This record gives sequence, structure tokens and C-alpha cells, in this order.
Amino acid sequence: MTLRLAALFAKELRSLFASPIAYVVLTAYVALSGVYFFQHLLNYNRLLFVFQGEKLGSSGFDSGTIPLQVNSLNELFIPAANDFSLFLLAVLPLVTMRVFCEERTQGTDELLLTTPLRTWEVVLAKHATTYFFVMIMIAASAIYPAIVVTRSQLGLEHLLALYLGQLSYGVAIAAIGLACSSLTHSQLVAAMIAYAIPFALLDFAWLEPQLSESAAALLREVALLGHLQSFTRGVIELRHIVYFAGGTLLGLVVSMASLELARAR
Amino acid sequence: MSAKVEAKAVHKRFGEHVALRDFTLEVEPGEVFGLIGPNGAGKTTFLRILAGYRLPTSGDVRVDGVSVVHERTRVQERLGYVCEQPKLYADHTVLAFLRLMGRLRGLSGGRLAQAVERGVERFALGEVRSRRIGVLSKGFRQRVSLAQALLHDPPLLVIDEPTVGLDPRQQLELRGIIRSFGGDHTVLLCTHQLSEAEAICNRVALLERGELVRVTTAEQIRSGPGLEELFLDSTLQAATGEESR
Amino acid sequence: MRFLAAGGMVMLLSGIGAYYAVGQVSLFSTANLLLGAALLLAAGVLEARRFRGFSGRLARSLALRWGAVLAATFGLVVLANLLAFRSGLTLDLTVARQYTLSEQSLTLCAELADAERPERVELLLFDDALLADDVRLLVAAYRAACPIETRELSSADAPPAAAALLQTYDTALVVCRAQRCEHVGYPSEQNITSALLRVVGEELGPLVYFDVGHGEADLASERDHGFSALTSALRNEGMRPRAFVGAASQDVPDDAAVLVLGSPERNLLPAELDALDRYLQRGGRLLVMLEPRARTNLVELLERWGFSLPDAVLADRQSSPLLEEPQPLALVVNRFGSSHRVTSKMSSRTMVLLPTSRPVLAVRKPQADDDLAELVYTSPQAWAESDVEAALSGREIRPDPGELAGGELPIAAAGRYPRPGGEARIVVIGDRDFASNRWIRSLYNQDLLLNAVLWLAEQDTRVTIRPKAWTPDTQPLPLGTTLSYFYSLALALPELLLLLGIHAWYRQTS
Repeated sequence: MTLRLAALFAKELRSLFASPIAYVVLTAYVALSGVYFFQHLLNYNRLLFVFQGEKLGSSGFDSGTIPLQVNSLNELFIPAANDFSLFLLAVLPLVTMRVFCEERTQGTDELLLTTPLRTWEVVLAKHATTYFFVMIMIAASAIYPAIVVTRSQLGLEHLLALYLGQLSYGVAIAAIGLACSSLTHSQLVAAMIAYAIPFALLDFAWLEPQLSESAAALLREVALLGHLQSFTRGVIELRHIVYFAGGTLLGLVVSMASLELARAR
Repeated sequence: MSAKVEAKAVHKRFGEHVALRDFTLEVEPGEVFGLIGPNGAGKTTFLRILAGYRLPTSGDVRVDGVSVVHERTRVQERLGYVCEQPKLYADHTVLAFLRLMGRLRGLSGGRLAQAVERGVERFALGEVRSRRIGVLSKGFRQRVSLAQALLHDPPLLVIDEPTVGLDPRQQLELRGIIRSFGGDHTVLLCTHQLSEAEAICNRVALLERGELVRVTTAEQIRSGPGLEELFLDSTLQAATGEESR
Repeated sequence: MRFLAAGGMVMLLSGIGAYYAVGQVSLFSTANLLLGAALLLAAGVLEARRFRGFSGRLARSLALRWGAVLAATFGLVVLANLLAFRSGLTLDLTVARQYTLSEQSLTLCAELADAERPERVELLLFDDALLADDVRLLVAAYRAACPIETRELSSADAPPAAAALLQTYDTALVVCRAQRCEHVGYPSEQNITSALLRVVGEELGPLVYFDVGHGEADLASERDHGFSALTSALRNEGMRPRAFVGAASQDVPDDAAVLVLGSPERNLLPAELDALDRYLQRGGRLLVMLEPRARTNLVELLERWGFSLPDAVLADRQSSPLLEEPQPLALVVNRFGSSHRVTSKMSSRTMVLLPTSRPVLAVRKPQADDDLAELVYTSPQAWAESDVEAALSGREIRPDPGELAGGELPIAAAGRYPRPGGEARIVVIGDRDFASNRWIRSLYNQDLLLNAVLWLAEQDTRVTIRPKAWTPDTQPLPLGTTLSYFYSLALALPELLLLLGIHAWYRQTS
């Protein structure tokens, strides 16, 4: 079983990186992350300069006059992390849309599904490959905060917490996208559903004023973005890990159900 | 070793369209069994059900007593499947593809290497072993498809339209290979080429609009009017019957 | 069907996007959301017709089975989320562990849990305040550890007592009990715990009397030498500081938990000395801070209680590298008596800064059952300079033979004296300025002082190290470095990836 899974994982990886789209997506994500990160960094520097000390001949930065809430965490890392999560949401469906759909349109699913592979092995291999790709994307973009984190005294552990959040979130988004890909023959439809679901779940702030406190609280627990905030602040909360893991599990099970039910059609 | 195939009251519908209607068939171990019929007769549908790619609406297919509906992977371990219009991973080289398919069928290490070499030799793929499948001709792709189906030496070989798109010489070669499998293996193939069915099959089943019309043996074909006439007769009957209905 | 689905999704996304662009629900966004949902529903219904292929028994049983699996998975996910939410388990990976409550806060929470308080304590978070997002995790930590209610609400919905505070203070957090509320200020753990202490301790907190009238520091003064920061710190600990005018006719009040003598510069009257003695004999608690120049009859009183305060000023050349301007008299000490409650939590990492100090030795027990201990020590390189005037006027000094030197010299000491009237306690610290507004917030000065007061007031369980407010460093990358990183990483890295992609595309098509 492990050999088959490993062989399929290797095949999926090979197919993924044989296609230019993986590189285009990776390039787009890394480029956007880099540009926006440095934009935030430059803005933060300018903001600090505004609060310069009165002493003549000073370097221009006197932390004694800077409000406590103006710091690298609030002005740089948190906005950058929010941007990274939106970019992930923007590019991941382009990767996931082809995973199941391409097999169907090319007809190679008939080849794959007539081997003695169990449905869960096929699904797991495809999901694992995509999660691995997500990991590569996030690791590539981690370079930017990493070079600044030592100067900001946030600490490596804090950075790891931030990226654990990004990874959990990215994997959950990917799982949703893969489930959408398994449900349809059309890559376009798969991508559009994969965009619609996370966007719809992103934030319910617009709806909360119309609801009771308990309903609003429940919606807040369901919203995607709310589950990222504590990671960005360096705290790993079990409930957020479980939220993203639950979304990933649902994506896996939907993919399996879809493949199994396709046989009955 | 070879396998016995039993299809019992297999029924398959796609929405309003009935592809297979109460289809019952037995293929004895070691037989080369052919399915013929016009387009839309249900041949490919049956082969896909047998290979585990699709589920029947009702009924069951068993290979050596193992149900493909309830124990799909056990059946798939015992068969090799060649689908119509070979669908292969175009970005893989021939060797890489064969190794992949071997691993997916549970082969590893020395056994895998031997099986791949055997396949390359048997289907004369030596000159294209390092080429990407996407650049191969149809004939070579068909051979690669056959090679992957036989890597694990399955008791049952299921082939959909084995020689479509091949030139006459390639067709002759492939028929010879398939014929040689009979006896030690069970072969179930479907084809439009009546001459092919006559030449290599021990028995032939004629399908029409999802129903099994007739099963005839090689001797009956040789001594009788021939497959072509049988085929035309059946299709005419079916058309007449349809009109009267 | 595809057109319907695509159209539906475009409209749905437009509706959501319009909301985010404008910031409110509009006719445009509502119409798009409703129409988009309708189109998707129609597409779904049409798509469902494909499922008429699920007409067989096998297909139906498969569909039912997987439907049950999906439902069970969904249920499992919901249950897991619920359990995880209830568990409140967190891992704080911040450098300063700023979302992990300190020992002081946890001790307070434990006290709140033990105490029988009819009115509940509420921590109100105003979600429209500037720093609301910064503080949510901290509020969650208090909710998990403390028997207090936490509520998130908008400032428009604030109860009257909290609303009154919001008119004066721009704050994200308010602590309330019954009709009384305290604002938190900058939402750090220190300020939240202090506010909690103020809210629960005001009626019940120990009274700390400060003797005045002999040249001691002014409690209300906010100048460098004033003690307003100290009184504020005591209030944050739930204590009630009061001034006490020690006159001959007045005994130390019975409700005094602690009496503080902040280095009187004149002799006490004999009646005052007697009053002090009587106070101690009935189990009184005394904190004495004595400057090097102070030569009063208080020293003799302390000698009767077992202390020796040589007329000297402590000097240590080793301290000076830690300070901006080298001064041998300004001691930075980190040697503490680990067995005493006042200093048991202090270590080599919790330093105390004493601008000018004198030695305080515990030399003899007045009675056999008494217990004396030295609390704070200099480094081994310190000495006690007997020419106090020369040292304090800035003249160069060096250790002379005959002066106390060659070991760790004590700067503070404490004593316990079981007496028929109760257990008296005294803490003597050989410096007063370290507690002034200028120095109290330096290093761990405040901790040492508050721990001494808490021990004297028998609030031992609250003796601890207080949470330190931490903010990330505000030093940015220089512009040149920023730009070079930008070019090398934000541009070069994507360029490299793109080249790899072109290579992969070329291989695929060639």
C-alpha cells in the first residue's frame, strides 16, 4: 500500500511540475508576496520617521516618542500575513482545478481507476501532492519575513506560528479546491466553485449586525479569516488547528465520495 | 493461469438510455472471447464494468467467483485492462510509465525490473523506451498500453478495440500476440473488426442495443455463414423488431 | 448549465466584492448576491438531473452510504471544533510570552476563585476601539484562567459606568464590578491585572501608612523625587496608601497594615519613637528606607531591633559599566537572599538599581525566637565608603583599609519578631531614592519594593515578579538594505521561478 501510494505521489508531483502552470502560480504568489511585503516595510519605515525624536543629530528614529501600537508586528507582519492569505486564495484554485479534471478530460482516469488502487489512495496521493505544493509556495514566501524577524525581535517561534497558520489555511483552501475539482469535468467550473466557497466563508462582518449575538458569534467561528489572526500574533490555538483540519478532512471525504459515486453513473 | 468470468443479469442505464439489458455471459478459463456489435451496443460499457471503472445499475460480474461490485480491487489485481484509444501519461517516458504502472500493481524491486524488461521485449519497445509517450505513434502507444496491462501477468486480459488505428502489419502482429495469450490466460476483447474476431477468438458474442443476441463458437463461424452474415442478420432483425414495435 | 453556474458565481463574487469595496451592504451587492444564489440553485437543479443515473439499487446504496459518511464526517468536524473551542488550549510562542498570564495574574485569579464575592467581575472589550484586535488573545487568556466574565461589545452599548470612562479615556478594555468600573489604559497584562486589583481591592485592600513631617518624600508629588508612582503602584496591587502625620500624641493607627518610614531627615520626637516601639510590640509592620546621609535617631531604634546601619555609602566600580555615566555609587545589584519570601523570586536576571545606598546588616537577634535575614547584596568588589560627604559630592573615592570591603555587602535586611501582641516584621533598605518617581520603574526596583510591602502586609502569596510590558523593536531596516533585499528576493526569486517554468513548458512542447 505504501509503495503504491508513494508511486502515485511521485507521479502526481512529476505531472504537477511538468506543467508550466505550477511555475506560473508559484511565481505569481512569490512575486506578489514579495512586492507587498516590501511595500509594507517601506511604509513602516516612513511611519517611524514621522515619529522622530526632537534631539538634533539623532538618527531620526527615537522609540521613546513612538506610540506602543506602532510596531513591526502591527504595521508589517500582520498586514503582510493578511495579504499572503488573500494571494493564496487567489492562486490556489488555479492549481487545484486541474488535479481531477485533467485526468477526466484526458481519459487517464480510466487507466488509473482500473488499477487495484483504492479510492482513498488515489484521493490521498492527489491531495498530498497539492499540499506539498502549498508548502513549497509558503516556504518560498517565508524568506521575506525571515530576513526582518531578527531585527524586529519577534523571534523564530513567532514566525513559525505565523507560517503554521498560513500552511493550515492554505491546505484547507487546497482541500476545498480539490473537492471542487473532483465534482466536475470542467476546470473552469471547478476553479469558480473553488473561489466562491472560500470567498463566501471569508468574513461575515457584513452580516453580523443583522443577527443576534449568539448567531453572530457562531458566524465568527465559521469565518475563515478570524482563524488566522492568532497565528499571526504568535499564538497557536487548538480550535483554529481543528477548524482548518476539519475543512481539510471534509475536502478529502467529498473527493472520495465524488470518485466513488462517479463509478455508479 | 487463467480466470473464469461470469456476468449475471448485468443491467446498466445512463439516465434514460439503457446501455446493457439483462446481460448474462460466461467466459471459460483460457478462452479468447470476443464481443462484437454495432456502435452503442454496450461492449465498452460491459468491459468498463468488468474492469471496475463503472458500477452496474444491477446485476454482478464475477472473476473466479470474486464480485467486481463488492470486491473491486481484488478483481483488479487479477486483470489487465487496455482501454479504447490508449490513454497514457504523455509526460512520462515509456520506461517511467511502465515502472509507474508496475508499482501501482504492487510490483517492486527486481520483480518490477524484470516485468518491465519483459514487456519492453515482448512488445518491441526497445527503441522508444526513453521517449516521452506524448511523441509516440499510435501503434507504439497501443503497444505500451498492452505492455502495462501485462506487467503483473494477470490471469485475465481485457482489451477494448485492440487494433484500431493500427496499420495492417501492426494489426497482424498484435493479433498474433493476443492469440498466444489464450490458453494460459483468459482474454476478453471487443472489436469492430469481424475478421479479427474470426481469426483470434474461441467464441464470439454478438451484442445489439445492450442485449446479448447470440454466442457462437469458432467452429460454428468457420462452418457456417461467417460472422459478417450473422452480424448483418442480427442487426436487421433488431431493426425490424424496432420498427414493428 | 455551465453558463448558469458561471453566471451565478460571477454575480455572487460581484456581490461580495461590492460589499468589501464599499464597506456596507448596498442594493447592488444584495441584488447580485440574491440573483447569483438563484442562478447557482438553478444550475444545481439542472445538474441534479444527471443523478437520475442513480436509479439502480447498487447506486442508491452507494449514494446512501457516502451520504452517511459525509454527514458523519461533518458531525465529527463540528464536534471536534466544539470540543477544541471549549478546551481553550493554546501555545504562546511570542518572545515575551505576552499572552501567557504571569504568576501574579494567576495568583489573583486563584484568589478571585477562592473568595466569595456576590458581584461578578466583568472584563469588557470594545470591538470598535483602536487596539481591540491586539488584545483579544489576552482577554481569552484571562477568560480561561480567571472566574470573570468577558464580553465583547461596541462602545455604543457600554453600561453607564463604563461609558463614563470611555468619555475620558480612549481605551479598549474596562474592568467592572457592580457599578464600579476601572479603565485599563494600554491593554497589557500588567494594566489589566492592576485594574482587576483596583476593582476588587479598593474596599478591602491593606492600608499602607507613610510617615510624613520629617522631610520624607511627598506621596502626591510627581516630581523626580516624589512618591506618586509608588502610591500608584501600591493601588495597582490592591493596597490603600495613606499619609500619616506622626505626632507625639498619636499612636500608629490599629488599621495600619504597614507603616513606611521613607528616610526621615530629622530626628523623631521621643514620643514618636515610643509610638513606633509600641506599634512593633503589638505586631506592627515597618518598612524603613534610609538614605546614606540620614543620621537620625531612627538608626538607634533599628539597632535595638537587631540591625546595624554603618554611616557609610556603598560603592562598586563593577556596577558602572552597566550605566551610561560611570558612577561607583550607583549600584546595579543582582544578588539576593533566595530563602526569604521577599526575594525568593528574584535572581541574577532581575536586577535592582540603587542610586546611592548604605549597608544594612542583620547583626543580632533581640530575642532568641526572632529571625533576621539579609535580602540584597552588592557584588564582591563593593566597599562601604566612610567619607560619605566626599563620595556624595562627587570626589574620587577608593577603598581604604578599615572600611567594609572584600565580600558581598548587604543593602537590605528583614526581621520577624514573635511578640505577645503579635508578630512584628521589619524590612530595612539602605536607599530611598530607588523608590522615587525617577527610579522606581527602572529594572526590578518596583518588584523589590512591592514584594517587601506585600510580605509585611502578609500578602505573601502575591509576592512575585510582575509582568513586563513588551513591544517589538521599532528599529527598521535601513533603506539601502531594504532595497537590496527587494531586488534580490522579491524580484530575482520570481524571475528564477518563471525561467524554470519556461524550461518546463519548452520540454513539454518540444
